[in-house]
Amino acid sequence: MKLLPFRYFAAVGALVLAGCGKFSNDLNVPLPAYDSQLVVECYLEPGVVPSLAVTESQTYLSAVAPTVPTDVTVNLSMPDGTLVPLYYKPGQDPLTQKFYTHIGRAPLVAKPGDTFGLDALDTKGRHVTGTATMPATVPIDSTAYKFNDAPNATRKAYFLTYFKDPATADDDYRLQLHKGLRIYSSPEVDLTIQDRLLNGQPVTLGTSYRFLPGDTVTATLYHLDPAFYRFRQSVTDARNANGNPFGQPSAIYSTVQGGIGVFTVLNYTRKTVFLSK
Amino acid sequence: MQLIILDLRRLLALLLLVGLLLVTARPAAWAQARYTLSGTVRAAGGEVLPGASVAVPALNTGTATDSVGHFSLTLPAGRYQVVVAFVGFESLTSDVNLTRNQRFVYPLTASENALDEVVVQGTQTLEQKLKTPQMGVEHISIREAKLLPALFGEVDILKTLQLKPGVQPGGEGSSGLFVRGGSADQNLFLLDNAVVYNPSHLFGLFSVFNSDAVQSVDLYKAGFPAQFGGRLSSVVDVKLREGDRQHFHVEGGLGLISSRLTLEGPLNKGKGSFILSGRRTYFDVFTRAYNRANVNKLDFTPIPDYYFYDLNFKANYTLGAHDNLYLSAYLGRDKFGYSSNASGFDFNFNWGNTLATLRWSHVFNPQLLVNTTATVTDYQYNLTNKLDQFTFNLGSSIRDYALRTDFEYTPNDRHAIKFGAAATAHRFGVGRLQAGSGDGSVNFGADVGYTANEGALYVGDNFRATDKLQIDAGLRLSAWHSGTNNYAGLEPRLSTRYSLSDNVSLKASYALMYQYVHLVTNSGATLPTDIWYPSRLSVMPQRSQQVSTGMSFLLGGGKYLLTDEVYYKWGKNQIDFKDGAQLFVNPELDTEFLFGKSWSYGNELYLEKKTGKTTGWVGYTLAWAWLNIGPQRGTTGVNNGQDYHPNYDRRHNLTVVVLHQLNTRISLTASYIFTSGNLTTLPAGRFGFQDISGANINTNTGNTTGGTDPRPIPVYPDRNSYRLIPYSRLDLGLVYKLRPTQRGGERDFTFSIYNATNRRNAYFDYFETVRDKTTDRITGFRAQQVSLFPFIPSVTYNFKF
Repeated sequence: MKLLPFRYFAAVGALVLAGCGKFSNDLNVPLPAYDSQLVVECYLEPGVVPSLAVTESQTYLSAVAPTVPTDVTVNLSMPDGTLVPLYYKPGQDPLTQKFYTHIGRAPLVAKPGDTFGLDALDTKGRHVTGTATMPATVPIDSTAYKFNDAPNATRKAYFLTYFKDPATADDDYRLQLHKGLRIYSSPEVDLTIQDRLLNGQPVTLGTSYRFLPGDTVTATLYHLDPAFYRFRQSVTDARNANGNPFGQPSAIYSTVQGGIGVFTVLNYTRKTVFLSK
Repeated sequence: MQLIILDLRRLLALLLLVGLLLVTARPAAWAQARYTLSGTVRAAGGEVLPGASVAVPALNTGTATDSVGHFSLTLPAGRYQVVVAFVGFESLTSDVNLTRNQRFVYPLTASENALDEVVVQGTQTLEQKLKTPQMGVEHISIREAKLLPALFGEVDILKTLQLKPGVQPGGEGSSGLFVRGGSADQNLFLLDNAVVYNPSHLFGLFSVFNSDAVQSVDLYKAGFPAQFGGRLSSVVDVKLREGDRQHFHVEGGLGLISSRLTLEGPLNKGKGSFILSGRRTYFDVFTRAYNRANVNKLDFTPIPDYYFYDLNFKANYTLGAHDNLYLSAYLGRDKFGYSSNASGFDFNFNWGNTLATLRWSHVFNPQLLVNTTATVTDYQYNLTNKLDQFTFNLGSSIRDYALRTDFEYTPNDRHAIKFGAAATAHRFGVGRLQAGSGDGSVNFGADVGYTANEGALYVGDNFRATDKLQIDAGLRLSAWHSGTNNYAGLEPRLSTRYSLSDNVSLKASYALMYQYVHLVTNSGATLPTDIWYPSRLSVMPQRSQQVSTGMSFLLGGGKYLLTDEVYYKWGKNQIDFKDGAQLFVNPELDTEFLFGKSWSYGNELYLEKKTGKTTGWVGYTLAWAWLNIGPQRGTTGVNNGQDYHPNYDRRHNLTVVVLHQLNTRISLTASYIFTSGNLTTLPAGRFGFQDISGANINTNTGNTTGGTDPRPIPVYPDRNSYRLIPYSRLDLGLVYKLRPTQRGGERDFTFSIYNATNRRNAYFDYFETVRDKTTDRITGFRAQQVSLFPFIPSVTYNFKF
């Protein structure tokens, strides 16, 4: 029996798709009126001069333009109640490449359990406030890696990070793995997990075979403030819903009141490992 | 026990009404001797024919066969002509001298042209619809469905149901049903009495019901008979064919994306029959060939493997003059796979239903019969993800073991009483997770499961009070037990018909329904990964009530039936979920639920014609659906507690279906649908998000600015506040029947054009980020509309011998 040549199938396929044009078309969408809100991003870190970015949200389809309000007064309240002003001095951190609008003058002193406050007020009366408590330190217990049996040219290793979740409930983590010491570049791996199924147990996070002999891997394990975890999750859900016909849009769950954004204290441990051949 | 309390006065009134119906006074005519004419209506081959009409014109009375093809009429002694009719079959007239209780089997012969039953049916079905008290019911003949144009030529009975008023489709091409403002999980799908938890293949594009194996479909939208329960919005009752009791047949079809094959024939010299039907798609045959041809190309990304199949089996056997046994089974699976040797990635995703039904039918006497049915239902999905040495398995399942017994008692020609009991043991595998590595360095598992038991007692009486007034009243008592939680509820049902004249009927109905199982999903559509969850802890049973009323007019000498129905439905304990809810493998999943109320209302206008060379229908629905999920559980509710429309709320829905018999060989069909667009939520605002250090640095080589673009994060306004453009689609079909083979075999080509006008209907809209190709910097945003199916021609070759 002679099989039909593939071109006949191709012809049928072409017929099926005869009417296919673009599946995506530009659309004119009249969006409802939207009132801009203050947006703050502030990640406090012990030993680092506190800085903060204050911007404004805008109508989605508006032109791309910087929306940095210049009239916002920002104060941090320390655990002892003292106020520390952050000064309006827009810039870009040369190390992290991150933008900020306000910055302090002295490195932050903080320990787990300390609670800080944020107060941002503009001349229109928009007032953003928030509090954040530094989470407990959860150390990386150890790391490990293992190369596969592939020939030298294609030999790769997976990487494991071990830590123990404390007995407290509602702990959230973020693990970043960077190649080399470029810890401010895009990470190779960026995982976020909750302890709801692993409370109080040892946790192992692994990668696929992706690291080469001679690579240096820096693992950074953040123990997240639950409010920050929720904010980040809502941001992810909101992004994923745009363009996903099955996605359900999520509201943004800010950690601050009176605006949008996040105010949190970071606590992380870091380990750098050289992957010997 | 938590009793779901009805208004006591209403309950007493209802019980009184049911009681009155059961003991109502006998008419004077009963002084004359009366006998019962009963039996079964079958196709000449042997299959029973549910819904066939059995009329005695001399007495201006008649009835329709029930779901197992049985009928019963109690008449004064005498000599009568009995007319038996059914869509697609020649009418049969039989002389009966009724001097004692008599039982017959009426065999109907298929019309000469097996595909064109639309031209040979009598007006009986429209008269039946006019005179039945049942409202909001649609009967779909599978032969009718086979004539209509279909996406990729795949006949789909659920998509045919979507062409009926009051039934909204999900998205483009989806076989999901949204009935009178209810959500997709509020439909009870029954295949030979077994519950089908996921009625679709390929993420909702095709239904699991193989048209070659299906005999009939009944959709109930209101006035639900008391034997049905467990879902709020509709009952889709699908019956499988039984097979030819006299001859062996092979039937099948070759289509663009799938092929079908059916075998049927007699068992033990006509004492029984069987049918075995299978269907399989072959996307994977082409994609594998394509992948093999390109495997050596650099940067080639293989196309994932996907196919689905289903198998239906049914056998029946006559044990004796009063006993029949029926066994039916279904097995369907979708299989999706993707693997890449280069990256060590292997992904497999399988899901599907497994069903089995064993039914014993026993006739005690012409007035009383019983069907006792045992069913097993299983739905599960398994997702396996292997990345190098790591494996990750995720799954969920639900399994039911059910037993029910249904009595039908016809004491006289004025009462048709149904009563029975049902019990179901549910096994919910809400979530199963297993993660591990080949070397044992990672090993983790979790399993969340529950059991529940559900029971029901029901009684209903279809009572012909006078020639003008007919009442179908029923009461169902349902109960549920899971863990330490017990619920019970009374579900009154009432349907009435009052004939204003021979051609005009006034109808009204009321139904209260409880739903004890809930679909856990955070998407707008039903997906294979959706989880079924029992009523337990804070998750109370959902409840709905519906009132509807309408008028039916038989026009044009019985050629046309015009029906207008209005309805109002309201529900409580309607469910939604918190934003960012953890739905998978969550032992405290009940805390993620949000509860609220729903209400919907609308008007359905329906004109149908079932005789002549040109038949079809026109349906128009004007409808509203609303939800309210208020602040609770530390949230502001959905939509900040404000009323909102579900995404399937569509104001207007117009369908036109035309079937035309051009000649004995050619049938032409067309269907047109116009609906308001789906509702969706588009972001109104955006803000930039940088994230922590080292998480969002633009390191693309073309980025010469050295800067980073904060990620644009959408800010959504009210839920479902934006309506997509109206949906409009014209489908065309042609059935060309080839000359019969020498052995009498039948063959035809069925041509379909889906979306003949090539309209770009909106599947969804989204906002796209525009970037500079050199620097990768964001330069703007624009709105995009995505369409799914353009003009799609298809051809299917069908045969039967």
